[in-house]
Amino acid sequence: MPRTWMSRTMLSDTVKSELERIAGTANVSFAREDLICYSYDATNNPVAPDAVVFPGGAEEVSLILKMANSERFPVVPRGAGTGFTGGSLPVEGGVVLSTERMRSIRGIDTENLTADVEPGVVTGELQSEVEGLGLFYPPDPTSLKFSTIGGNIAECAGGPRALKYGVTRDYVLGLEVVLPTGDIIMTGTKKTVKGVVGYDLTRLVVGSEGTLGVVTRAFLRLLPLPEATRTMLVKFSSLEDAARAVSAIISARIIPSTLEIMDSVSIRCVDEFAKIGLSGVEAVLLIEVDGREDGVERDVADVERICKENRSVEFRVAADRFEVKDLWKVRRSISPALKRIKPTKLNEDVVVPRSRLVELISGIQDIARKRGVVIASFGHAGDGNIHVNVMVDGNDPREARAGGDAVRDIFDLTVALGGTISGEHGVGITKAPYINMELTDQDIEAMKRIKRALDPSGVLNPGKIFPSPDTGAPRG
Amino acid sequence: MKSLEEHIKEALKCVRCGACKSVCPSFDVRRREPSSPRGRVALIEASLKGEEGLGGMYVGHIKECTLCGSCLNNCPNGVDVPGLVMAARAEHVRREGLSPVASFALRNMLSSDRFMPWALKLASKLQGLFLKSSSVENGLVSRFSLPFIGGGRLLPELAGVFFMDRRHVRALSEAKGDSSKPRIGFFVGCGVNYLLPDIGESTVRVLNEAGAEVVVPSGQVCCGMPALSTGDVKTARSLALKNLEAFEQGEYDYIVTSCATCGHGLKNIFRELLSDEEDGMSARVERFSSRVKDITELLEGILSYKGRAGEGSGDRVVTYHDPCHLRKYQGISEEPRLLLEKTGLRFKGMKNPCKCCGLGGGLAFSNYELSMEIARKKAEGVRGCGADIVATACPGCIIQLKDALHRYGVRAKVVHVVELL
Repeated sequence: MPRTWMSRTMLSDTVKSELERIAGTANVSFAREDLICYSYDATNNPVAPDAVVFPGGAEEVSLILKMANSERFPVVPRGAGTGFTGGSLPVEGGVVLSTERMRSIRGIDTENLTADVEPGVVTGELQSEVEGLGLFYPPDPTSLKFSTIGGNIAECAGGPRALKYGVTRDYVLGLEVVLPTGDIIMTGTKKTVKGVVGYDLTRLVVGSEGTLGVVTRAFLRLLPLPEATRTMLVKFSSLEDAARAVSAIISARIIPSTLEIMDSVSIRCVDEFAKIGLSGVEAVLLIEVDGREDGVERDVADVERICKENRSVEFRVAADRFEVKDLWKVRRSISPALKRIKPTKLNEDVVVPRSRLVELISGIQDIARKRGVVIASFGHAGDGNIHVNVMVDGNDPREARAGGDAVRDIFDLTVALGGTISGEHGVGITKAPYINMELTDQDIEAMKRIKRALDPSGVLNPGKIFPSPDTGAPRG
Repeated sequence: MKSLEEHIKEALKCVRCGACKSVCPSFDVRRREPSSPRGRVALIEASLKGEEGLGGMYVGHIKECTLCGSCLNNCPNGVDVPGLVMAARAEHVRREGLSPVASFALRNMLSSDRFMPWALKLASKLQGLFLKSSSVENGLVSRFSLPFIGGGRLLPELAGVFFMDRRHVRALSEAKGDSSKPRIGFFVGCGVNYLLPDIGESTVRVLNEAGAEVVVPSGQVCCGMPALSTGDVKTARSLALKNLEAFEQGEYDYIVTSCATCGHGLKNIFRELLSDEEDGMSARVERFSSRVKDITELLEGILSYKGRAGEGSGDRVVTYHDPCHLRKYQGISEEPRLLLEKTGLRFKGMKNPCKCCGLGGGLAFSNYELSMEIARKKAEGVRGCGADIVATACPGCIIQLKDALHRYGVRAKVVHVVELL
């Protein structure tokens, strides 16, 4: 559909004063300082918006979106702004709609095991809150200490615990959503796990990357907090041994709550930072089991046996919660610490069926050799989701090209192994040029029809997911 | 001090991952991106690159930082955000000058060894006119509703006789020549000297008990950290030089301080401040800085202080607050706790012991309300662990915690670790 925006560098004075009337002058900003701070996410490719708004709830969001339709300007929802695919970047300018003001935990129902939260609640803070009540919100993205429930919903965030517990979509019972046209709707249920009245719009919105609606309230499912957890660090002298141990553990019908793998490149980088004696190790598994006290002891014994059968070099169980924290910090630091190898990181998160993990990892090593680039692999081996980081010097055109070629090779390999090119990070801008590798034209057209139906003027988070002349360009 | 290029290079190390947002005390209160370390780096980077559109909001955001270093400690790329903030403040001062009050306070008072003591002595005599003792806690509250000091704010009381003016302290200004004992030069600092002299008394007493000889060199002045944190590099540098000279008058095995902030300044910042000075300076600074120890690491780690029965045993509960300048910048967190074990008091850890108290970076002056919001969590932490006594190792933290506990109705004494020994 043809789209003409209000001038990219200006919202009209009418729009500006109307925004202030809707949200309150203290909750709207056109100041340069704010435009700078709300222009980036973790992809570090900033695009400045024309305004930033901090609405307090669905009513304000609705009025803003209605005006966006009549006055024709983009609206881009934003949680913590820590996404990896450019989902919260205002690529066509317009208004960044921050959820920072909507951050209260409305209620935790300890009897029905549900929570009612606003989208700006930091996921880790919700987890602390419910754990204090003996409850558990499982999805644990690496960014949980600073990313928000709203952002997690938009990207259907996963995390190491996904192997046993699933991902964000498995814990959203229902949502209050403001559609791109400004209509406020409820999806799903508030307190019941079951409910099938009408279409499952909850599932549609979760993972839609802020393009089909703005979530203003989320009704989440909780579990009882497991009684005990054990954390293990296992060292291997080869990546293949580690990957085989992963498959063997699952085949033995043990479902750890975490089964993470790190290759030698990621290990070397983090070891410099965290210094916990990982030098000379080719691969590491970080494994957690949870459940009842006697159950976890048995699991630990079984996992140890299986690792040793697969030629593990060292097997260690964390002795106290401080050691547990240290081990986890290592895992959580990999992603940004990799910049020490080369300045530019091409960050992909591919998934293959677990049975094909060894082929994926060996295939990636072949690609690294073929293209002459450094590639670090780590991540959720238990569910076959590997974060592949291609490290290049972005200022060197040969390396940058080789990096782009390596990424395409990795995607080809992934699809050939029956996998998907994005497990957790979404598509956003960065993966938009590649979705044709996995989706057919009919798949994409069906999705676009839904988008057009809900957002006829295309105001909500334009330029994301679907390749267009703008998003087709290679990203840094 | 670093060049513009070096600062830009530092800022560019930030990959915008956002991890810092989970540990920043001012972001924890404000909950808006520009009040986070990541936001501050983005703003400072823009300013360094010549961005024209930054104004009062920019200055406000760089002033919101307590310089606690939590971000630096948590950043996988080790971006020196506090360093960038201080550089940004220095640049602002270079361009706009200091505010008249700050200029007067820093230039004339902290750096002078005559005017400041005179002015503070006068203030000490007159403080009774404007301030009265708080009925609840050890400190003063304003009699009237006045700007800055009003609103129930608990102010530290100016000592009747400043620590370094006391006769028995003046008698310690030179070494006695007894070379059998370790000779310790005591860097007193303004917090102890003017506001909390009991800490000074306890420091000398405990060092003597530990078998050391204590010297209090008379030419010492403010360590310069308050000046530096507001951007006044010039004053900070001249103070550093004066202190260097004062401590070069004698031979000391160690130089001790009971203020975490002074300790960080003397150990780490002097090197940076004086690195551009003439040849031979870096050797002098090295000689000085390498000898500086915090009182807790000196007593526990070096002098192996054994302790005595102390304040009384068993039933009173003591907890410990980690000053940012001690834990994050000097890596000291075990020694104070080990010393507290020797007091006979019952130790109970508080929630988030190393979270910043909110005083730092001049925040208690430039943005009192924000600093008190930051301190709220500390007050709740003390309340939550049921402590009767909060021990810490920084006069700044003591002043802030006293004010916060008073404001939020938490009954507990706040003292320096050394006062319990």
